[in-house]
Amino acid sequence: MEMVNITINGQKISAPAGITILKAAQQAGIDIPTLCNHPALSPTGACRVCVVEVEGQRTLITACTFPITDGLVIQTESPQVVKARKFILDMLFSERNHFCMYCQMSGDCELQNLGYRYGIDHWVFPTYTKGFPVDATRKYFLMEHNRCVLCGRCERACGTLVANHTLGLRNRGAKSMIHADANLTFGDSSCVSCGTCLQVCPTGALCDKRSAFMGRDEQTQHVKTTCSHCSVGCAMEIVTRGGNVMKILGDWDGAVNGGVLCQHGRFDPLYDERTRITSPLIRQKGKLVPANWDEALQVVAKRLGKADAKSIGVLASSNVTNEALYLLDKLFSKEMKVANVGLLNRAAPRLFEKPQGSLADIEKSDVILVVGADPVKDQPVASFLVKRTVDRGGRLIVVDGEDNGLAPFAYMHLPMADTGKAVEIAGRANNPVILYGTGAPEKTVNALKKLQGKAAFVALEQGTNTRAAVAFGFANGFKPSAVKTLFLLLGEQDGIGVEALEGIGKGAFIVVQASFASPLTEQADVVLPMAIWSERSGSLTNTEGRVQKVSKAVEPEGEAKADWEIISLLAEKMDKKLGASLEELSARATQNIK
Amino acid sequence: MSTIKTLEDLNKAAKRGLESIIPSKTKIMVGMSTSGLASGAQEVYDALAAEIKKRKLDVVLCKTSAMGMDCIEPLVEVIQPNRPRLAYSRMTAKKVPEVINQVAKGVVDGFKPTYRMDEEDYLCLNEKKPYFKGPLPNDVKDIPTISNVDFYKKQVKIATRNCGMINFESIDEYVAKGGYFSLYKALTQMKPEQIIDEIIASGLRGRGGGGFPAGVKWQTCRRAHGDIKYVLCNGDEGDPGAYMDRSVMEGDPHSIIEGMIIGAFAIGATDGFIYVRNEYPLAVANLQRALDQARAYGFLGNNIFNSGFNFDIKIGKGAGAFVCGESTALMTSLEGKAGEPRAKYIHTVEYGLWNRPSNLNNVETWANVPAIISRGAKWFSSIGCKNNSGTKVFSLVGKVNNIGLVEVPMGIPLKDIIYEIGGGIPGGKKFKAVQTGGPSGGCIPKSLEDISVDFDALWEAGSMMGSGGMIVMDETTCMVDIARYFIDFLEFESCGKCVPCREGVMRMNEILHDICGGKGRPGDIELLESMSKGIVDGALCALGSTAPNPVLSTLKYFRDEYTAHVRDKKCPAGVCKALIRFSVSDEKCTGCGVCLKKCPTECISGEKKKTHVIDQTECIKCGVCKESCKFDAIIVE
Repeated sequence: MEMVNITINGQKISAPAGITILKAAQQAGIDIPTLCNHPALSPTGACRVCVVEVEGQRTLITACTFPITDGLVIQTESPQVVKARKFILDMLFSERNHFCMYCQMSGDCELQNLGYRYGIDHWVFPTYTKGFPVDATRKYFLMEHNRCVLCGRCERACGTLVANHTLGLRNRGAKSMIHADANLTFGDSSCVSCGTCLQVCPTGALCDKRSAFMGRDEQTQHVKTTCSHCSVGCAMEIVTRGGNVMKILGDWDGAVNGGVLCQHGRFDPLYDERTRITSPLIRQKGKLVPANWDEALQVVAKRLGKADAKSIGVLASSNVTNEALYLLDKLFSKEMKVANVGLLNRAAPRLFEKPQGSLADIEKSDVILVVGADPVKDQPVASFLVKRTVDRGGRLIVVDGEDNGLAPFAYMHLPMADTGKAVEIAGRANNPVILYGTGAPEKTVNALKKLQGKAAFVALEQGTNTRAAVAFGFANGFKPSAVKTLFLLLGEQDGIGVEALEGIGKGAFIVVQASFASPLTEQADVVLPMAIWSERSGSLTNTEGRVQKVSKAVEPEGEAKADWEIISLLAEKMDKKLGASLEELSARATQNIK
Repeated sequence: MSTIKTLEDLNKAAKRGLESIIPSKTKIMVGMSTSGLASGAQEVYDALAAEIKKRKLDVVLCKTSAMGMDCIEPLVEVIQPNRPRLAYSRMTAKKVPEVINQVAKGVVDGFKPTYRMDEEDYLCLNEKKPYFKGPLPNDVKDIPTISNVDFYKKQVKIATRNCGMINFESIDEYVAKGGYFSLYKALTQMKPEQIIDEIIASGLRGRGGGGFPAGVKWQTCRRAHGDIKYVLCNGDEGDPGAYMDRSVMEGDPHSIIEGMIIGAFAIGATDGFIYVRNEYPLAVANLQRALDQARAYGFLGNNIFNSGFNFDIKIGKGAGAFVCGESTALMTSLEGKAGEPRAKYIHTVEYGLWNRPSNLNNVETWANVPAIISRGAKWFSSIGCKNNSGTKVFSLVGKVNNIGLVEVPMGIPLKDIIYEIGGGIPGGKKFKAVQTGGPSGGCIPKSLEDISVDFDALWEAGSMMGSGGMIVMDETTCMVDIARYFIDFLEFESCGKCVPCREGVMRMNEILHDICGGKGRPGDIELLESMSKGIVDGALCALGSTAPNPVLSTLKYFRDEYTAHVRDKKCPAGVCKALIRFSVSDEKCTGCGVCLKKCPTECISGEKKKTHVIDQTECIKCGVCKESCKFDAIIVE
């Protein structure tokens, strides 16, 4: 890379040619204030807060858009620059309702911070003469137009990061307003409530309903973790205050998602209204009654100890950690020689022994084949990656039923029978990528194999940790008829009812390890309360085989314990020596997954 | 129509065209561009057609566009064998029978033509063709020739060479005027570099306002990396009172197309786009027809003139946002997005439309190109003044006698345009200032009326050439009010992307409204100045950074008017209603009662032959009394 020499505030700096003044300054530790600029978004130079003086230029220059060339001499805080910034801030503060103390963002607002930095202590112009509406029609967050500075971050995030293009600008000049679709309310619009706009908004214009007015950022703790909703494995931050989860943010450093989350990852977990199980339960005289851990584990250990391995069945949800799956496999399959194990969700067909691609290949591709998978429904962030690629001119071919969520964006939509045609087209592309899921029948899968070596393949698994569960052999077929004792690791999975017990004989002894009360736990003889996503540490394996850490942000509710911890305690009760530190368990689990 | 691939084919088309320009029988032309239609040309055209049919005359009736002098439209021109071309102005349907009478007789008597033309200039061919041979017929001797009409005397027509001269529906007539011969020359006899050198040598500067040397721009674009390049034509004329580009697009669309093809060949472009505002329906229609004709003749498409060069042009219609005339906003709009400017620290000749090298020139610039190629750089640079070669088209409007489109050599003194071409100020009033360069231009005061009209001199004077609007103001114009008017326009047209323009212009407008409304505060003028500086320094695009110009230039030359408004609460020009007071002069009032009858609020009272009185509480300051008073007895102060 060609390096050039520039001077900022008298300091000589060497930086790669063509990067912006802003980036060069940041690399050298020089702070240039910004407002409309966001590291994850392309710069537009709209707010003009980052203007700097560049020798030889007729006017002030926005640092966020100006590429550096050799010999540039830049002043970032000269009197002229400071005056221009104050002028901008004077106008921004008087443009709409920026009475900071009534805003939930007060203390965390980028506009307010700039106001303090440049001593904006009074209004130069008459302020807030026009009222704009507030749109609260969306479930999770609202749009307070009166606090909008029209920086366009939300619009860019919606268009370029999520490729949803819901947000745009309406009207012109000072009457401009962010709007959804052709001026629909946000609730009625094509908005997918991913909340990316909310996360990039510098002021209180986009306001999270749940965490509003619950504290400033400095009063909170941020814990980096991985989303447990689906198999994409988005990196995120859990924001807590006083042991309560306030909100979830996308982690801009996330390897897979790059900061983007979906509704299921960002909002739904905070709106979970299911009843938690807060203590172990044992069935006595036909009723489940609370017990302590010792009693409950004793009952399970005793039962399992007596049972014949052939009569024991294990069913696991994929919504548990690698460590739990490892211990489950170790305890039942390896130690107790239980062969009848199963997975609560279907797994995508295994095409190859080794991974043949990653989600990052999507954006490098020119043709994307989606076969028997609906990422819009099951792996939304993966669908964002696909739509982003389509925006850049990539061709999308969907081979699936009529109701596939990606069909509207597809260049070609084919039934499963025409897989051959899709494979032929993909074969002609330079960098095809194949995304396939559980909906692809065997014949189709074999047709796809023709592209081996040419295309990148990514299985879009349903569930969360399906890939790890498959690696531990949980997807090999489960025969319910022989089961007299069932260990059901339900976890926090939703949508699985009593049909999971179909075929299991009456009188079978059922142990359910679960976070929430459900018809299934009602059927159990022992219920072991499990910690949920925000309450446990460990690791998850995403659909590409990437192992990522999850971290505990708050204490478990009641007596609930982490998934792996429960199995570890059970093993201890059964005198099986499996106990180890979490780090040790993670390392062993990872070893097994690879 | 068969395709034209050789010079022979082209000559055949030219012959056809010439027969249609000067036919062997009588030809009547009606100026049917927007200006003509607005003054009733369609009615005149229909009446002519009916009259010709009624009398069973063997006459060709056709349409042409405006030649420039819009104040005398509708214009009907008659070409008869061996007679000069005659122009009947301010035509109405009622006058049609009389004109047809003269045509039938072949003699002028009674209703007189305004001017005559003895010969027609074929600029690109460098020749003049007479309309008649032999002596001048007696009946037309006392009709002035066009070169003796004040309005046309000092004009030199290059970009508008064919406007009003040919039927804009006929490609053959354009070819007959030397059209597409330049293209033939460029494609078959010149190398792209040669063409660029020729344009550089001609000194042609972009007529869109910036005045950047066109040839240099082409060269940069040619050298830019990329297989796909674009040439673009900016027809998004949005300045109030400006219609130069519209007239060329309506009257001579082929000159733009030919210029673009030559430019594309020189640059190595594969596709062209003409961006026109959809409020110009006639321009869009005429351009579309012209493109279809050019395609049918093979001037657009593959292997043009067997040169192996492929090129085509599409029209992009704009929704009429002022900001879309700015290069990057125009390109964003062409891409199908909302027309907002982009930060362009990398020039659009390198990263333009769809991030590909794009060369944007305006209508007038493109229209000049064929003339330069055919007549040569030396000829072009001999017209005009230093560093400003060629001509510039202006739309001369406002408080001036002759309103219309004028094309003058660069460097002509401003006063020549106003007093000679424009015929001075109506009503014997005094010339005060002229606004050039559109809303983001500035005002040039009477004291600078000797200024040379060129890019550099206007810029130095605090105004700019802009695309060529020229609004003349007389002593009854309030300069603060004018600044307010333009800032009002700019506030409305600000796209809202960057803060200085979106908010700054709005705030400036509020302050100007206050000043004009009698609510000016001490310090307002200084605040306007410091805000202007902030906007100039901080705005994203050129339209934003020039937005304070109307205020800056009026402050520069008419600061006393601002002071009068703010400090003395007076409007010296008597325009700002909140600051003026109507009263009746005791000496001059004859008590005739006219004002009393005309007053819409009935606030004037008084007996016959006694001085009338205006009730100040009821007066709405409409000025009707002043207009109706024959004795100049209404005092405005």
